[in-house]
Amino acid sequence: MRTITVALAVARKDLRSEWRTRELVPALAQFVVLALVIANFGFQFDSRNAPAIAPGVLWMALVFAGLVAFGRAFAAEREQASLEAMLLTPASPAAIFAGKALAAALLLVLCEAVLLPALALFFTVPLSFDVVFAVLLATVGMAVLGCLFAAMVARVRARELLLPLLTLPLWIPFVVVGGQAVQAAMGGSGGGSGTGQTTGLLLDLDILFVVLTSLTARFVLDD
Amino acid sequence: MNRYEKGAAAAVALMLVAAGFIFLYAPTDALQGDVQRIFYLHVSSAIAAYGCFAVVLLGGIVYLWKDSLAADRLARAGAVVGVVFTTVTLVMGMLWAKPIWGTYWTWDARLTSTLVLWIIYAGYLMVRRLAEPGRQAARFAAVVGIFGFIDVPVVHFSVTWWRTQHPGPVVINDALPSQMLLAFFVTMAATLFLAAVMIAIRYRIEVLTDEAAEKTAPAPIVAQSEAGRAR
Repeated sequence: MRTITVALAVARKDLRSEWRTRELVPALAQFVVLALVIANFGFQFDSRNAPAIAPGVLWMALVFAGLVAFGRAFAAEREQASLEAMLLTPASPAAIFAGKALAAALLLVLCEAVLLPALALFFTVPLSFDVVFAVLLATVGMAVLGCLFAAMVARVRARELLLPLLTLPLWIPFVVVGGQAVQAAMGGSGGGSGTGQTTGLLLDLDILFVVLTSLTARFVLDD
Repeated sequence: MNRYEKGAAAAVALMLVAAGFIFLYAPTDALQGDVQRIFYLHVSSAIAAYGCFAVVLLGGIVYLWKDSLAADRLARAGAVVGVVFTTVTLVMGMLWAKPIWGTYWTWDARLTSTLVLWIIYAGYLMVRRLAEPGRQAARFAAVVGIFGFIDVPVVHFSVTWWRTQHPGPVVINDALPSQMLLAFFVTMAATLFLAAVMIAIRYRIEVLTDEAAEKTAPAPIVAQSEAGRAR
């Protein structure tokens, strides 16, 4: 079987099972809205400090929603021991992993489709194409990294503890670069670098982590 | 004295020589005064930490490639020692920053990336502790070590890539007087030797730990390591 066929099949399976249960996406949507409510109280938000605060709130909510989403990516497989069954098929572990990461990334994009409009509404900041583009680019890299470590901790004791410890430090580049891009687009002080530069950097990071993950995924899955 | 004790004694003696160079030989900095003497050990331990994490990276790659138990033990030893030297770097840097910058900490690119480095390898040690000992822990840790090493060049080049408060490179830019340079090289040699001895001792501890684990629980561990070799 070709890699892409397998990956798409696995992704379709995950999305279908999410569609049937409708657990993760509604929970994540509630979670990000709650995060905005808490940020409002934590930051004493008003219309003047909004452009400075909103990008930070966006990335905080996104990072923690991502942790929850990717932590769940392998939960069902673990509960029913179905990952082992998938690995027994001739499909390559990297293809299976790519499918899982694709599905988890799409679920996180759905959650972003709630987060970004809610942020624009509640914090009265402009929602430009640049913001959406930066967030989507960051989602790609965050998803491959998050899924890699989610696959790892699924087989480990104290997995809820370990996933953030491993994932958050490696997500920091996306928060740094994506944060600059969003700050610039929302009219805050954007660190001085242009949109083209941050987009290029996010693409570089995506390529770096996709390549590294595709090389190492089989060691994590095929354990 | 066995060779580990001899190595440790030699490392302590060398560090004392380095202390002599730092406190007696090197001249006092005209602007910063005696505080500048932190520089010698601070930079040396940062370089030693880079070296240790390079050992973790190479050990991890060789383990994934050849299933070599020795490479995995070397990676384990490198990670522990690397975290120790990163801690030394951070603490000494903070002690220097308080009188010079007026604050222990600032969110500067190099400080932040070094802190992230510490957190990444602390996470590496957590994986080692929480994963099932043997093949699983070794494989997972190797992957974390490969990803974690990405941060090392970021730390190293952060002072060139971004405008930082942290001083830029002084050694390779030839900005030091020759006496300071000599004191620095002596300290660096002593620190690197100390790191190597610490890794060697830690490696021995890992061997003994593995042997003890095999004795107490022979069946699963022997089966796992043999399955690993057969691959």
